[in-house]
Amino acid sequence: MELLDRYLHAVEFWLPKRQRGDIVAELSEDLRSQIEEKEAELGRKLDETEVESILKRCGSPLMVALRYRPQQYLIGPTLFPLYRFVLTILLLGCIVPRTVIWLVFLFFDPVHTGYLHMENMVSTLMFFAFLTTVAFAILERNAALRDRLNTWNPRKLPAVRDPKRIPRGNSLFEIAGLVVMTVWFTSTFKPSAVFDLFGAQITVAPTWKTIFWGVMLSTTGTIAIAVTNLFRPYWTPLRAALRLTVDVLGALVFCWFLKSQIVIAITVPSLPATKAIKLVGVINVLLLQTLPWAVVVMLIIAVCDIYRIVRLRRPTQRAAGPQVDDLSHSIVNGR
Amino acid sequence: MSQSSGNHDLFENLRLELRRGCLSLAVLSQLRTERYGYTLRKALAEQGLEIDESTLYPLLRRLETQGLLTSVWREEDKRNKRFYRLSPEGKQMLKQLGTEWQKINASLNGIL
Repeated sequence: MELLDRYLHAVEFWLPKRQRGDIVAELSEDLRSQIEEKEAELGRKLDETEVESILKRCGSPLMVALRYRPQQYLIGPTLFPLYRFVLTILLLGCIVPRTVIWLVFLFFDPVHTGYLHMENMVSTLMFFAFLTTVAFAILERNAALRDRLNTWNPRKLPAVRDPKRIPRGNSLFEIAGLVVMTVWFTSTFKPSAVFDLFGAQITVAPTWKTIFWGVMLSTTGTIAIAVTNLFRPYWTPLRAALRLTVDVLGALVFCWFLKSQIVIAITVPSLPATKAIKLVGVINVLLLQTLPWAVVVMLIIAVCDIYRIVRLRRPTQRAAGPQVDDLSHSIVNGR
Repeated sequence: MSQSSGNHDLFENLRLELRRGCLSLAVLSQLRTERYGYTLRKALAEQGLEIDESTLYPLLRRLETQGLLTSVWREEDKRNKRFYRLSPEGKQMLKQLGTEWQKINASLNGIL
């Protein structure tokens, strides 16, 4: 019976302290009865292997003992999906932007990648995960907070958005913004090598002319799409692809502008020549340092545009069943 | 994992889920007469409802904590055994659960 005693001792270790003796006595009685019954059947004492097989069938000491404990959890099955959702959003929100910015800096401005403190990423993630887990564990144990989560009203649920629909307000806002920007841009800058700006004479690199027309082309394209969206407020695959093209064009032109050391000279009557040269240097460096951030913004815009195209290609849930319009059509036609 | 083993696992999960709800009722019904754990297991097995010791004893404890069973340690065949039987609340509960079971059974027979 040495095996049986060892087994019971192992089970006892994991049992709730106050019930240990009671539970072990009962389990022991059951197992001894099984062994005795088998022995009576075989007409001899069981060997170790046979006792072992009885104990194995009973289950591992830990699993057997755990069944006597009440079910405990840090975050219960009701809150767990919400916990997982919040944790995923938080962790992705922490990993993705930082990694993208770091990669862009690595390509365009490797000197300043150190400012992003990527070595702290793991500890930051652990910190967010810990805080989220603690918050949900508190929520799990606080009935009042849980009840507040359960009080809801169907009328307060957000309206179902049609991903293809373009709100007219957005198109109007976009048109107004772009028109104001174009008027300011064309009245302030000229497609020439030298132009006046706020009383200063600016000499720019020859590439400026191309950049100027590139900006105009991209802006005009965006306005044309916005106007179309105003009158036909539903995205189509073609229009979404055109929007991506125009945005990529604008992004490339803007990045080229930031990178191309565009200002050659600044002439201001009251500014000494040496200071003017320094100013030109500062402006070009500032533009260059803006480049990684501009690339990040452009990437976000491009990702949004690509996501729109993908979403348009995806069949909508409603497409699976008959549409309300289809049904009413059938009723009218007597089908 | 092959599809057949996946199906088998799924079946096993659903089977256990189906069984879990019935076990309390089966145990309560068998404890109209006093029994100790081992004989209870044997009685259930004879009726075709095998239940292992690591499932039965925690269940007995739970039912006792809920006031549906009473238990007493007594010596039998020179060994101490814990005997269980239905408490008055347990008898009442068995009646209610029995009626409920009949309803579910009738409904499912109609559906299946």
